[in-house]
Amino acid sequence: MAVTARWDQVVFWYGCNMARHGEIIRLVTQILRAVGVDAAPAGGPAHCCGSPQEASARIAGGMASRTVEKFNATGCGQVVTWCPSCHMNMDDFMAPVTPPVFETRHITELLHARRERLRELMVHPVAARAVLHSHAGFNGRVPVNDLVPDLLRLVPGVEVIDPGLRVPGHMCSAISAVPGVLAASQRATLDVMAAAQADTLVTVFHSCHRETVALERGRNFRVVNWIHLLAEGLGLGYEDEYKIWRNAEDPRGAIGPERIAAAGDVAFERLVEPELRRPPTV
Amino acid sequence: MGPGTGLADHIRAESTRLAAVCTSCGACVRACPMVAYAPGVADADAVAVVTGVLDVLRDGPGTPEALAWIGGCTRSAVCTPVCPEPMDPAMMMRLANMRARGALGGGAQIPVKQDPGWSARVKAFARLTMTEEEQAKWL
Repeated sequence: MAVTARWDQVVFWYGCNMARHGEIIRLVTQILRAVGVDAAPAGGPAHCCGSPQEASARIAGGMASRTVEKFNATGCGQVVTWCPSCHMNMDDFMAPVTPPVFETRHITELLHARRERLRELMVHPVAARAVLHSHAGFNGRVPVNDLVPDLLRLVPGVEVIDPGLRVPGHMCSAISAVPGVLAASQRATLDVMAAAQADTLVTVFHSCHRETVALERGRNFRVVNWIHLLAEGLGLGYEDEYKIWRNAEDPRGAIGPERIAAAGDVAFERLVEPELRRPPTV
Repeated sequence: MGPGTGLADHIRAESTRLAAVCTSCGACVRACPMVAYAPGVADADAVAVVTGVLDVLRDGPGTPEALAWIGGCTRSAVCTPVCPEPMDPAMMMRLANMRARGALGGGAQIPVKQDPGWSARVKAFARLTMTEEEQAKWL
């Protein structure tokens, strides 16, 4: 499907697996609008960077080229990224092969550049002693481990602690593919949370959020994405349904039969439910 | 040029370029946080490991240690700032990973973990978290 952006908007390219977190996409567009940026979200398999098909350059390259061509066709001058894989693929493989007519900027860079406007809008205090879940990777491309804490400090009441832990990889989906790494990183995260006496663990990327929300179970802290905290400071309502479903004893009951039917019973049973019922890593 | 041919050509060209710049000093291996999770790499000579990676970039079979390191790369990019040459070893590893997974044909040299349900799963979650209007506009 073609992107529905107008030339005077920016495209918010949220990636594919962010489809689990519709509220984050919604909140990003609301926050961007609040700082004067009109954004049209685009993502899913029809706007793929090619990453899931990298075992075939022919398939991955075709997907990537079609995505750049769709963005070019909008006439938008800027594509704002969320996913670090998409962002790096655009730089490394997509743009060199299919020249874009837009500039690419990460969402943290765009919001950080407009942080003074954002600061004026942060009128709702949020009590949080927060530790950022940080990876070593991607930060060399976009310094998210500095930009996100800067943005979080705009929220009145939020204290951000940097314990210096940098988990390997660029996000948790990468390390989850190597046995033992995700578990080791989550144990290290729990250690720094305890040492810092933190009550909030803040994720940066969607796959980290997906892998981390289950750490809440039986523990005395909450897991939020950085966008959630900004939204709370701005007074924007949201519900982190993925976290609710993932931590529910009965995900089916938490979602409800009508919504499951709308999603497709077979698809839910085969593709969604196993992920929601998967035991926590640690 | 057919669809996707451009990416294959780009992978080949970048592989050739980086393989020519790299001096196999081994600094990238020594800095890597994933070595401990890549069988045989911690005990291997770092120079030999990188030499094996360069072999993969040149269409060679590599070595077991090089393939283990390539397969264990999670894109931490800790190697990037320690490289003394004008190149990005993280990009070198990315290219080696794609080649070792068979991106250019000729079969995979390392296990390929692909999720055949990825696209359908993304769409199923979208149906749960997005309104019909949002799905029509955003997907």
